[in-house]
Amino acid sequence: MSVITQDIVQPGPATRTRGYWAGVLRRLVRDPVSVACAIVLLLIVLAAILAPWLGLHDPYQGSMIRRLRPIGTPGYPLGTDELGRDMLSRLVYGGRLTLYIGLLPVGLAFLIGTSLGIIAGYVGGLVNQAIMRTIDVFYAFPSVLLAVAISGALGAGIFNSLLSLTIVFIPPIVRVAESVTTSVRSLDFVDAARASGAGQLTIMRVHVLGNVLGPIFVYATSLISVCMILAAGLSFLGLGTKPPEPEWGLMLNTLRTAIYINPWVAALPGVMIFVVSICFNLLSDGLRSAMDVRS
Amino acid sequence: MLKHSFCLIRVRCLAVAGLLAVTASAASAESVVRIGMTAADIPRTLGQPDQGFEGNRFTGNTMYDGLTQWDLSSADKASVVIPALATEWAVDPNDKTKWIFKLRPGVKFHDGSDFNADAVVWNVEKVLKQDAPHFDASQVGVTASRMPNLRSARKIDDLTVELTTAAPDALLPINLTNLFMASPAQWKKLYDAASATDPKEKAKQAWDAFSRNASGTGAWKMDKFVPRERLEVVKNAAYWDKNRVPKVDRLVMLPMPEPNARTAALLSGQVDWVENPAPDALPQIKQRGFVIYQNEQPHVWPWQFSRIEGSPWNDIRVRKAANLCVDRNAMKDGLLSGLMVPATGTFEPGHPWRGNPKFQIKYDPNEARRLMTEAGFSKDKKLKVKTQTSASGSGQMLPLPMNEFLQQSLAECFFDVELDVIEWNTLFTNWRKGAKDESARGSHAINVTYAAMDPFFAMIRFLDSKMAPPVSNNWGFINDPEFDKLVAAVRTAFDPAERDKALAALHERSVDEATFLYVAHDVGPRAMSPKIKGFVQPKSWFVDFSTMTMN
Amino acid sequence: MLVYIAKRIVFAIPVVFAVALVCFLLVHIAPGDPLISVLPPDASQALADQMRREYGFDRPLPVQFGIWLWNALHGNLGLSIASGRSVTEEVLRAVGNTLMLAVTASVIGFAFGLLFGILAGYYRDSWIDRLVTTISITGVSMPHYWLGMVLVIVFSVILGWLPAVGMGPGGWSWDWEHIQYLILPAITMSVIPMGIVSRTVRALVGDLLSQEFVLALRAKGLSEARVFQHVLKNAAPTAVAVMGLQLGYLLGGSILIETVFSWPGTGFLLNSAIFQRDLPLLQGTILVLALFFVVLNLIVDVAQAAIDPRIKRA
Repeated sequence: MSVITQDIVQPGPATRTRGYWAGVLRRLVRDPVSVACAIVLLLIVLAAILAPWLGLHDPYQGSMIRRLRPIGTPGYPLGTDELGRDMLSRLVYGGRLTLYIGLLPVGLAFLIGTSLGIIAGYVGGLVNQAIMRTIDVFYAFPSVLLAVAISGALGAGIFNSLLSLTIVFIPPIVRVAESVTTSVRSLDFVDAARASGAGQLTIMRVHVLGNVLGPIFVYATSLISVCMILAAGLSFLGLGTKPPEPEWGLMLNTLRTAIYINPWVAALPGVMIFVVSICFNLLSDGLRSAMDVRS
Repeated sequence: MLKHSFCLIRVRCLAVAGLLAVTASAASAESVVRIGMTAADIPRTLGQPDQGFEGNRFTGNTMYDGLTQWDLSSADKASVVIPALATEWAVDPNDKTKWIFKLRPGVKFHDGSDFNADAVVWNVEKVLKQDAPHFDASQVGVTASRMPNLRSARKIDDLTVELTTAAPDALLPINLTNLFMASPAQWKKLYDAASATDPKEKAKQAWDAFSRNASGTGAWKMDKFVPRERLEVVKNAAYWDKNRVPKVDRLVMLPMPEPNARTAALLSGQVDWVENPAPDALPQIKQRGFVIYQNEQPHVWPWQFSRIEGSPWNDIRVRKAANLCVDRNAMKDGLLSGLMVPATGTFEPGHPWRGNPKFQIKYDPNEARRLMTEAGFSKDKKLKVKTQTSASGSGQMLPLPMNEFLQQSLAECFFDVELDVIEWNTLFTNWRKGAKDESARGSHAINVTYAAMDPFFAMIRFLDSKMAPPVSNNWGFINDPEFDKLVAAVRTAFDPAERDKALAALHERSVDEATFLYVAHDVGPRAMSPKIKGFVQPKSWFVDFSTMTMN
Repeated sequence: MLVYIAKRIVFAIPVVFAVALVCFLLVHIAPGDPLISVLPPDASQALADQMRREYGFDRPLPVQFGIWLWNALHGNLGLSIASGRSVTEEVLRAVGNTLMLAVTASVIGFAFGLLFGILAGYYRDSWIDRLVTTISITGVSMPHYWLGMVLVIVFSVILGWLPAVGMGPGGWSWDWEHIQYLILPAITMSVIPMGIVSRTVRALVGDLLSQEFVLALRAKGLSEARVFQHVLKNAAPTAVAVMGLQLGYLLGGSILIETVFSWPGTGFLLNSAIFQRDLPLLQGTILVLALFFVVLNLIVDVAQAAIDPRIKRA
């Protein structure tokens, strides 16, 4: 990952105006792959948000009589799970929780990590040392190991998963933010601003933030798919969401034994994780090239 | 560090490769049965296994014997305690805390040393005498609780020992099935070879070495042991019970905690026998020609009712209604692919401790609704009850689906069930804290399954008012003088026939009082290759590996 | 160079200690009784207290940490509560098994990743490029535990070609009897590094080809093979570095795959340590894995600096 960090440290244009962002959007919209992914994701997110109004079956209400129905059963287009609950409904509702624990940790880590990184990079000196050396310690754990260790220690549960995943993603973001800030800080235009008597806060807000957020944002979007897979993996191990909540990783776990009766139904949650994760990856790639950040 | 590990593997690989070459040539004529266990690790091999009764099944009863043992020869009769390394025993008529055990002559440990009274005393002291050089704290937990009253052992002569209990306890011979006799001579040899200087450290090393070079008196001898990967035992041709000398040459036991992994291993021919195949995989397993064995086990899957003040279950009509409202056969066929026995009590008809309960537990929703109406509930005025359970756990079978099934069934009889799903270990801990504790979170019932082999674990700890938390598992604080009287009668019934009668009376009352919502007994399902013949699945947690053959 | 290496090692020492502290704290802040796996549910309070003393859990946390760290420095990670075996021994055996799996997966992932990456970089924007990009993005987006399950169903259960779980008849040797057990988990594990390596190499090769020195080489009339050699030489260090880090992630992240395949490595060990609440085993396993990662990072950094003196990051 340190390799990625290095490459991202690309000071952008001196100031990024509204025109720049409009340009990014224009370039993004012109990329058919990105547009397709955005549409797919939008549909999944919308379905997850609007789930209660879609007229679906109750995702918790099961029946022993109609368990493990195949795909295409009338009334149950995607079949039923091991407790006879409607798969379509559980996949849609499952999207809520899965997206929630896939996106929120990256979002939180982005906020916390960026703040810490910018402070470390801009203030420098002892503050930098304190922050970066602490981060080094957490960075010394491979991400899956750290997530599993924290979740394993704290026990299963949504909150614990969110916590452990957030902790996992803070260090890489801090590193990127710190190195981008350090390189931007030493650029001429910041010196110029300082010479012209701008206050520290103003410099940080206008110049530093403006120039560093882009690369960090691109980097953070590339973490979303990792986070989704990892979050579902925690549930798969029994360290994440607890039953009977619908969540794709957990559904994959509990449907494992059904793989001999109804492999296609059992495979569905895995397919969903895959589709969402690939869309986020492609979109992140699209964003990267639209923003002209080298990969 | 990296380099070091690489070397380590390399050396090990070379060594093992050599070993394999040797065994491979000898193995061709050997009959081998490979078993996929549900445990995540090989149960401990040093005499007192962990991993619950699966541990006793695979690393206890195979390599070791106790003074007494369970009769595993029949699939129809209830499994009872019979002589093993002791041939007979009796309580001292003048002091009911002292027992005399006569030992079987001519029995040898796998290392060739003699089994005698010294060995018995040594094995009692390994878990009960803290200043004994071979005392091992790590074996205490799994052993002491299974023989709560045993205190000490004394040699009378080479083939006679006297055992002392803390209080008169007629159940001692049953408890002793859990104390396995390890070879003191083998341990001493390993102790002398240990490298540490501190005697305590040395003892720890000796036990660790013993677990790799086990020596008991059992029908199987340890041959190869790779921790967490496999245990191989070979037949002990010199076993003292000639009828139980194994017919198969070698047993290979592999830990496979993941049900799908076990099923896949069986279907791909990697093992010949798996414990507990996933119910949903049964059709596929049968279709491929594998054989499913199952039998009722001494195990109960219940809701244990809270009887503290304010609990809705204090009304016997409500307790009976719940017991009548569950279609256990529908649960069996619809949910568990036939892998359960509907429960009508702790013990089913045919068991010597069953008795003749007057309350017949069956599916009768009309009667259940009648009782509930009588108790003041109706379709519009449902009775709210809360049950604490777990999403997984040993013996819990399929806890969530089964509880949701109960939830749906009971709704038909004016119950409104709320499930509080918590983590298995937490649930287990809560079980000891009782319904009054904060951890119960206001639950009116707890769903923890239990083994019902030993009367103490099957009944006494739930029914005796003295067993209320924090002493033991009377979670619901049942306080009924009648139960206490029946329990006292059991403890002092030293004649086996009298003891069985007392136990039957206790069980009768527990069913008539509808103390639990009795739901299911596990059936210990195992799937086997059709090449295994002559296997008998008794009504027990244990099996006899000696009788089967492998073509 | 030597100074640089020495400096890196000195910097790594406090990190190692801090890592040990984090391991210890992580495991000890956990709720629940550490003796749950050996204490029967119906143990008396006296028995519980006695056991707590025997295992040293009655001492204050800092003292426990001191003792543990001191022993760990001497290579002794204590005894597993559940099995009574030496944690050091358990972890080293498991590390051996995981290393074998991770290294095999890395070799597969690196070989294919390099091949795909070069092809795509060379034939940029052709159908090959698009195919490779699709493969690599699929690789990094696939929940690999799910892929593992699917492979088991297809190759073990339906086709019966390969064994489903475990690592064979005890011990290890590089013969078919053992290797067949390695194939499915290694392939499953190689998918992510393959995706990442091919993406990295593709970008590198693409960049290099558009750089002036390549144009100059071509202009000089150098054969395509020689140009390719140059490109490869320039791309290799980064690719190796990426792979080195990936190996670290595979080692630390093997838990999902080892769970699916019941592979007796560190992940499997970690899983049972978590569910049995076996604290000495849990902290020992995490510590060893984290140390591996630290050392691997160090090696990658030093190796990179050795190949390319421009990269001397503090």
